[in-house]
Amino acid sequence: MKALFFPGCLIPIKYPQMEVAVRRTLPPLGIEIVDLEGFSCCPDPIFFQAADKVGWLTMAARNLCLAEEAGIDIFTICSGCTGTLSEANHILKHEPPMRDMVNRRLKRIGKEYRGEIEVRHIVTLIREKVGLERVRESVKRPLEGVRVALHYGCHLLKPSDIMRVDDPDEPQILHQLIEAIGAQPIVHDERFLCCGKACIDPDLPLEMTRTVLRSVKEADVDCMGLICPTCFSSFDTGQLLIARKTGEKMDVPPVYYFQLLGLAQGLTPAEVGLNRHRIKPLSLFEKIGQGVT
Amino acid sequence: MTAQEPRNRTPEPEKPAVGAAGATKTAEVMHIDLDARKRLLAVIGGNRVTYCYQCGACVGDCPSARFYEGFNPREIMLTVLLGGLDELLCPDSIIWKCSNCYNCYERCPQDVRPVEVIIALKNLIKEDGHQPQDVQSIYETILKTGRSAPVIAGLARTRERLGLPPLPPIDMAEIQAILKPDTAEEGRGPENELGKRS
Ligand code: SF4
Ligand code: SF4
Repeated sequence: MKALFFPGCLIPIKYPQMEVAVRRTLPPLGIEIVDLEGFSCCPDPIFFQAADKVGWLTMAARNLCLAEEAGIDIFTICSGCTGTLSEANHILKHEPPMRDMVNRRLKRIGKEYRGEIEVRHIVTLIREKVGLERVRESVKRPLEGVRVALHYGCHLLKPSDIMRVDDPDEPQILHQLIEAIGAQPIVHDERFLCCGKACIDPDLPLEMTRTVLRSVKEADVDCMGLICPTCFSSFDTGQLLIARKTGEKMDVPPVYYFQLLGLAQGLTPAEVGLNRHRIKPLSLFEKIGQGVT
Repeated sequence: MTAQEPRNRTPEPEKPAVGAAGATKTAEVMHIDLDARKRLLAVIGGNRVTYCYQCGACVGDCPSARFYEGFNPREIMLTVLLGGLDELLCPDSIIWKCSNCYNCYERCPQDVRPVEVIIALKNLIKEDGHQPQDVQSIYETILKTGRSAPVIAGLARTRERLGLPPLPPIDMAEIQAILKPDTAEEGRGPENELGKRS
């Protein structure tokens, strides 16, 4: 099946290794990635929306228009993009006055939002359009005995009436995806705590991040399994900042789910960009008999 | 205006209204600044605050309330209801401590969507020009490049080495055209049946 790739900003610019993993792991699942020129930032659901809600909605609508013109449903690889585009799509589909307002602005560039396409995070696309069976079939090297601490992050699941991905209090989707590659999903106490990235404060984000990391550390895992680059940045850079500030060293490797999928599909750590990571999942490499490239 | 005290009720002992800077309260009289409130009700997502009945269900799972003393979404809603916007629209407003986690949106039985009210307040802060530097710099980066992260030197080479296609161009004339405020002719946006924007 064809799926229209919405790359966003953070992954292609700051964490291109995640894009590599996505581009390598989807074709074995039967997904044909379609690239399109012209997409802008989703735009950013936190600070840009805080600055200009109407502009936020309109820029998102322009991206949705491009997908409508291509006639293919969008898939996203970042929870922030998923949040912005799903929310905008929902508002514009269900609230005609808002759609009129946005379309008045889009008219300036000869576009019109019509509400013809769906937006899905890549994990939802897999669950709904590909099936977990296909993921299992693509596995050549099950990640046996690998303990992965799940962290869903906030914006894949909430607001749940709009996202409609899973029960935000009892989500299953990542559990199933981790099990499908032969690894063990580990539930930790602070699995629902926000990474804190959006708080503007010198200490508050680090407090939240540290609380999550301590809980992960206690769960004795090989890595964290994430699907959001913002969470990744909090738990990766965050560990450096915490160590610098308090001397507390965590050594918890955060890993993007599609890098794990790639390893299970037989790719090497370097082929999914794990060699670029500051905190490498060494015990995981050992368990699957891979060197530390 | 003097409010009548209900007959069978002893007036509450003097206790300042929680977090309500715009409202003045004595044992008998409370003034609510309705004009200040109106400004918020005109922003997308700001109007639902009027449904709030102060139950506090939004507080229990609020991570910012857990980790930052003094942050409390119920109190923020109360301050808004009492018209105390000045306190929330100042440059170092407490609302920037919100983590945008949407837990309050999930928990609120009244569909107030406190996080959306907070985002609406943030839009007013930007309108007043008091936004924090973090917000301003993302806003400007997007306005200038169409992307939220600055493209660093060497990225093209890194992407090529990783076997990734180059970042496609973005039509910035289009982005800038749609981000211009509505003209008088286009109108300021929709009004719903309550005379508030939906
Ligand atoms: S949960 Fe809703 S109704 Fe209750 S205090 Fe919070 S915003 Fe108000
Ligand atoms: S969105 Fe903000 S106010 Fe609501 S629960 Fe999260 S941190 Fe608290």
